[in-house]
Parts: sequence; structure tokens; C-alpha cells
Amino acid sequence: MQDIRKHAQGAAGPTLSIRNLTVSFAGRRQLVQAVKNVSLDIWPGEIVGIIGESGSGKTMTALSAIRLLPHKAQVEGTIHLGERDVLSYTEKQMRALRGDRIAMIPQDAMQSLNPSMRIGRQVGEPIELHRKDSASRIKTRVRELLASVKIGDTDQRMQEYPHQFSGGMQQRAMIAMGLALDPELIIADEPTTALDVTVQAEVLRLLREIRDNTGTSIAFITHELGIVAELCDWVYVMNKGEVVEQGCVDQIFNDPQADYTRMLLDATPSIHGPRDEVPNV
Amino acid sequence: MTLDINWRRWRLVAFGGFIVSAILFVAIFANVVAPYSPYDLDVANMLAPPSGAHLLGTDELGRDVLSRVIYAARISMMVAVLASMVGLIFGTIIGSVAAYFGGWVDMVLMRFMEVLFSFPAILLAVVLMAALGTSVVNSMIAIGIIFIPGFARLARAAAIDVLRKQYVESARAVGMSNTRILVREILPNIFAPLLVEAAVAFSYAVLLESALSFLGLGAQPPEPSWGNMLNVGRGFMANAAWLSLAPGMAIFLTVLGFNTLGDGLRDAFDPHLRD
Amino acid sequence: MLKVIFWRLIAFAFTLLVASAILFVTINVVPGSAAKAALGIDATPQALARFNAQNGLDQPLIIQYTAWLGQVLQGDFGHSFQNSVAVGPEVLRRIPVTLELAVLAFIVANLIAIPLGTLAAMRHQRGLDRGVTGFATILGAVPNFWLATLLVMVFTLKWRLLPASGFTPFSEDPIMNLKQMIMPALSLGIISSALLIRIMRASMIEVLSADYVRTAYAKGASEKIAVLRHSMRNALTPYVNVAAVEFGFLFGSVVIIEDIFLLPGIGSFVLVGIINRDYPVLLAAALTITVVVLIVNLIVDLLVSMLDPRSTAKH
Repeated sequence: MQDIRKHAQGAAGPTLSIRNLTVSFAGRRQLVQAVKNVSLDIWPGEIVGIIGESGSGKTMTALSAIRLLPHKAQVEGTIHLGERDVLSYTEKQMRALRGDRIAMIPQDAMQSLNPSMRIGRQVGEPIELHRKDSASRIKTRVRELLASVKIGDTDQRMQEYPHQFSGGMQQRAMIAMGLALDPELIIADEPTTALDVTVQAEVLRLLREIRDNTGTSIAFITHELGIVAELCDWVYVMNKGEVVEQGCVDQIFNDPQADYTRMLLDATPSIHGPRDEVPNV
Repeated sequence: MTLDINWRRWRLVAFGGFIVSAILFVAIFANVVAPYSPYDLDVANMLAPPSGAHLLGTDELGRDVLSRVIYAARISMMVAVLASMVGLIFGTIIGSVAAYFGGWVDMVLMRFMEVLFSFPAILLAVVLMAALGTSVVNSMIAIGIIFIPGFARLARAAAIDVLRKQYVESARAVGMSNTRILVREILPNIFAPLLVEAAVAFSYAVLLESALSFLGLGAQPPEPSWGNMLNVGRGFMANAAWLSLAPGMAIFLTVLGFNTLGDGLRDAFDPHLRD
Repeated sequence: MLKVIFWRLIAFAFTLLVASAILFVTINVVPGSAAKAALGIDATPQALARFNAQNGLDQPLIIQYTAWLGQVLQGDFGHSFQNSVAVGPEVLRRIPVTLELAVLAFIVANLIAIPLGTLAAMRHQRGLDRGVTGFATILGAVPNFWLATLLVMVFTLKWRLLPASGFTPFSEDPIMNLKQMIMPALSLGIISSALLIRIMRASMIEVLSADYVRTAYAKGASEKIAVLRHSMRNALTPYVNVAAVEFGFLFGSVVIIEDIFLLPGIGSFVLVGIINRDYPVLLAAALTITVVVLIVNLIVDLLVSMLDPRSTAKH
């Protein structure tokens, strides 16, 4: 199966490669394993869905890649971002990657934006932290970024604070922030859960456009099969810390192998298969 | 969250409880525990540094400092207990009356309490002492008055909570009188939070009492109190530091004991406040 | 907004009225003692009666209060029973001393509380946090007048660095003024920091667990940037409310410290009034402290309603 994908992508190697990842926390008596022996790959330009219920370990897996797990987590296995062995990196080396090579788009944009900092500064901050650009050059780039996520009236909007933005605009600002330095990988952690349906569709279309235009890989974490069907190229199904099934979207929907996947499909009767295009809104 | 932290908490409660019971024991059995009388002068032995005969030395009149610190614990505890009682009793009455009757009674009483609450405690204590005259009993009353608004607020909130519950309504339905409902149904049910507040008030009372007697407005010499001992000690700081260290340490340990105990009790009653 | 301010001001005026009445009644409730204190124990009954009549002390309390209030509203705090000096100007002379002490103590308290509370929050539930929390618990049990004594023992008697007491106006000799103010400010400020450390720690713990701080880390921010740039301002907003109330409290608790260090401020004026049974002095001093405390609380109240992040962010 891996081989099929590799040929399909025709690339030198995966953007993100996780092997035998186990994440555990010290409980009262024994270690609690949140992620068990997970292996997964994300190839360049691919949108990979990681689907599972809350507590399935999908977010933990993704956070391991950017090394933002809680301090108490114990991590085993290997994680490669391109050629980089991420788990062997020092905190300082990790900082150089975060926001530059890997970006994160969080679940709740409103909570994830600093309430007392102007949008322009927040969107431009990855550049400020990683490049020695002048303020005016950063500003120009922020303007481009906001325009690319379809936030109009950029000069005005840059001066505003998060609470002056609608939910959809907040999430688009977060996406702009993630795109600031053309990362190799974007981890999107249920970025549309907090949004209503029409806004959700806009954001999904935007993510797909970004992938098409920049060739960035996207790890899309979600519990909604519908979104996976619309957006993803390849899917990993997680349950109780383990990957129970993987495959291309067609296969997962039409010929599910794992019982758990079938259960998920049965629980979502409206899904009958992947749609080719995100509907225009 | 984990066992480890709870255990830590309990260790603190045990620590506070140990200090508090030790001090209460010393205060109650002062006449047994103290090696000397706190009043006996020993002119030949003035300002003697700590030694085997006088563990904490002697003061400017040759009195045994340890014995005076021990007897002062009595005054301190007495004031703390009675002042907290004054605050507790009057505060509870005012708070539950306000809650029960509501409307303008509530308005007037609680506005008044708020004004009283807005005075800086030490200033109000000092002014009250000026009006009442200096004595241990009066410092008790003054500190008790300062505590009333805090207890009243708490009692009112707790009573409003209780009033919403079924049993008060059924008491009304069977025709119980207002006073009877207040005393029989409400008071017993708002006591737990008030007791926690009382533990906190206790340590504050110890601080306020020592402050008043430090200023010469509380216990009057030759009666020993930690505050007036500290005040006297100031005059001999250069050659008899123990006069300042011993009573200060006593206040510190007492307040620390009550604070840790109070914090622990609060956690026990209200698990939400835990870290 | 204007409506809110208006009602706050009405409530403030009401509180002030009741507070002044409480002070006045408390101080004047024991009849006759002022005359005795002013004229001495040997004074004849006729002399006492004349004193009471002259000062209006034979009137019912309510009349005395309204008369006094009328004068106070015109800025007249009456004259000292002891030496007939006008009390108002004396209060004005003393306010700057107390204000300087309270401001310095407030600075000390914040300089301790903000960094320590922040550090404790950054190392939540680890060694440093437990150390800081323990330190705050210990400070909370130390009476400030005992700390004052200990400071004098060390800085004056042992190291001979600072004067034990006294006051020199800042305009006369700034160095001397500060030397004399250090220990009073430390005694008040260090003890005040006990509460503020806890507040800062709690506030910072909450902010550090916020999603936007994780966003900062995800952008590649160092801990320094995540804390100073992204957390500090948001953590300080609730902290400032408590700190400002604490400033009022500091101003109110200067009585003992001014007495220990012989600072001629409002606090020691209260004691002068009590010891001499000089009611106009006591009333004026106590009322001044109360008014300052109430004004500070009023300003905090108004600032809180105006500084709501949603309205500040607008400009």
C-alpha cells in the first residue's frame, strides 16, 4: 500500500515519517499509553486525514511531530521531518523548526489568538521570530498573507484585535500565520470544528487551494468523516491510540477493512462516498 | 489531581493542626507549662541572655521571657477565640436576617456592612480602641466588630442558598414563625462555610491583637502579650535581641499554624479550590 | 458608560457619608473625656462644661455631626483641642509623607510579586513553584511591625547602614529621605507581597495554559517570548485590580509603621489624636485615610469597567 502511494507521489521521500511512535504518561500506578506504536507517512503535497474520536490519540500523534506535548509525556519511536530526526533535536533546534518548517492551525482560533495583540503583529510573528526582516518587509508579507486567505481591507484589519474578527476570519488569520514561511508541513487540528457549516466549507476550500498552490503537506486531524471525504487524499483511522486502518479515501469509504472504520461509517449515514469537489458556497 | 498532591495537602493540614494544638495546649495549661510566674521580678537578673535557667532569657525587670511568652499565648488565644465568636455570631445574625427578609432590610444591612468592610482593618481597630478604652476585653470587641461584615456576607450568601431549598419552604408551609425558621432551619445549614471563615479570622485576630497591644492600645503591662512585649523589646534591641525575637516568633508560628490549617480546611470543604 | 460612572459616584458619596458618620459617632460616643484630656484631671466641673459648650460637645450627636460635616465640606477640620492649631493644614502637610511611604511600599511589593509569581507559574507544581508558594505562606504569617524590628536590628544595629528612624523631606535631602524610607517601605511592601505573589501566580498559571500561548510556542517562540510578550500583559490585567486594592490597604495600614519609624504622616497623626484624646485630630486623620482608601477603590472600580479588554482594544 505504501508503495502505491510512493509511486503516486513520485517524490524523493515523505515530508513526515513517523515510525513506532508511543506516547505515554505516568499515571498513579502504571504508564498510560495515549499513542501505541503508531507509524504514518505524509508525502509532499498530500492532505492526510487522521480521523478518530476524542481520546483516540490523533492529536497527541500530531503534537509529537511539532514536539508540543505536555512536559510529562514520554515519547518513544522516531519522527522524521524530511531528513531531520525530530525527536533527537534540542529544544533550541525545535524552536527553529516550529512556525518555519512545521506550522500548526489549531481547533479554536478565537482562543488561539492573543486577545491583546494586533492581528498584523500576530500573523507576522513567525517571520519576526525566524527571519531578520525589516518591519516594513514583514508588513508587506503580512498584507500578502491576509489577502491570500481572502481577508480584505488588509491595512485596516492588521490594526485590529482578534475580538473584532468573525470566527471564520479568525481561523483564516490563523491559517495566514501558518503559511507565513511556506512550511513543509501544516498540522491542522480540527480547524473547522468551532465554525458553522458555510464558513467551514470556505476554510476547507482555502486549505485545498493552499496545497494546490504551494505544495505544502497537510495533516488534517478530525473526527468528521464528511470532511475527510471532501478534503483528504489518504486517511489514517485511529482508535484507542492505535492506527486501525489506512488507505486512500475511496478505499476507506467503499471497502473498509477494520470493524471500527465500519462502525464509524455506520454512525454517519449521510456519507456515501467521496465527492470530487468541495461545493461552491 | 494525583495522590501525591493530596498527601502533600494533608501534611500541611497536619503541620498546621500540630502547631495550633500545641499553642492551644500551652495557652490552656500556661500555669503548668511555664517555668516561672510571668510577673515575678528578679532585679539581680535583669536582661539576662538565654541560659539553662531562663531558656529565652529575662526582660528589663528580670522576668522570665519564656514564661511571659507562654502566658501571652493565653491572651492571644482568648482574644482570637472571642473576637471570632463576636464576628461569627453577629455576622451570622445580620447576614441571615438580611437574606431571610430581603428587600430594604437586606439593602440597608448589607450596604452598612459594605461600608464597615471598606475601612482598613487596623485603622478601624485603632479608632474603636480609642472609643472603647484600652483593655484586653475591648480589643476583643474591636476585632470582633471588624470581623462582622465578612461573616455577614458569607452567612447571607449561604442563607440565600439554603432558602432556595425545599425544607425551608415546607417549614413556611406548616406555619413556622420567622424566628423559628431562622434558628431551626437556616443556621444549622450554613455553619460549615462559617467555621472555615472562622479559622481564617482566627489568625487575623492574632495579628490584630498583637498590633493593638504593640501600639499600647491592647493588653496593658504588666500583663504579658506578644504585642506589648515586642514594643518593650524595641527599646533593648541592641543589647537584648531575644526580647524582640521570642514574641515575634510566637506570633509568626501561631499565624502560620492557623493559616495552614485554615487553607487545608477550606480545601476539605471545597475541593474546587484545589490546585 | 457615563451611567455606570454616575451610579458609582452616587454609591461612593453614600459610602463616604456613612463612613464619616461611623467614624464621628465612634469617636464621640464617650462623652466628656475630650474635655478631661484637654484640660487635665484637675479641671473644675465649670471649666469642663465651658469647654464642652465652646466645642459644641454638649449638643446631641446628630447635631454635632451635621455641624462637623458642614465644616469639613468647606475644608475646615477644626482646631486641635490640645494646642488650638488648625487641623486641616497639618493633615495636608502629612499626606505626602504617607503617600511616599505607601507608593514605595507598593513598588517593593510589586517588584517581589510580579517576578516571583511569574517564575512560580512557569514552573507550576515543581520545586521552584513550591518554594515560592512556601515563601508567600511564610511572609503571610509575619507581622509587618516585627519585620520592621528585625530590619532595624540588621540594617541599623548590625551593619550601621540606615538610620533607625526619622524623616527628612525629599526636597531637602533626597538621599537622606530615601535612606529613612527604605526600611518602612520594605516592612510594609515585603509583607504585602505575600498576597500579591499568590495572585500573580494564579493569574499567570491561567494565562500560560491558554491556547494562544501554545500558538506562540508553535510559531517558534522561546519561553522568554511566550511569557514576556504573550502572557505578561494578559496576566497583569486581573492582577492589577487586586494590586490596586492592596495599595489602598497599604495606605490604611501605615499607622504602626509610621509610629515605629517616627514618620510624621497621617498614620502617626491618628495615634497623636488617640493618645491626646484630641478628637478633631483623630477624626481628621482617620477620615483622610478612609477617604484615600475609598477613592483608590473607586478608581480601581471605574478602571476595571473601562479597561475591559473588549473596550480598550478598540483604539
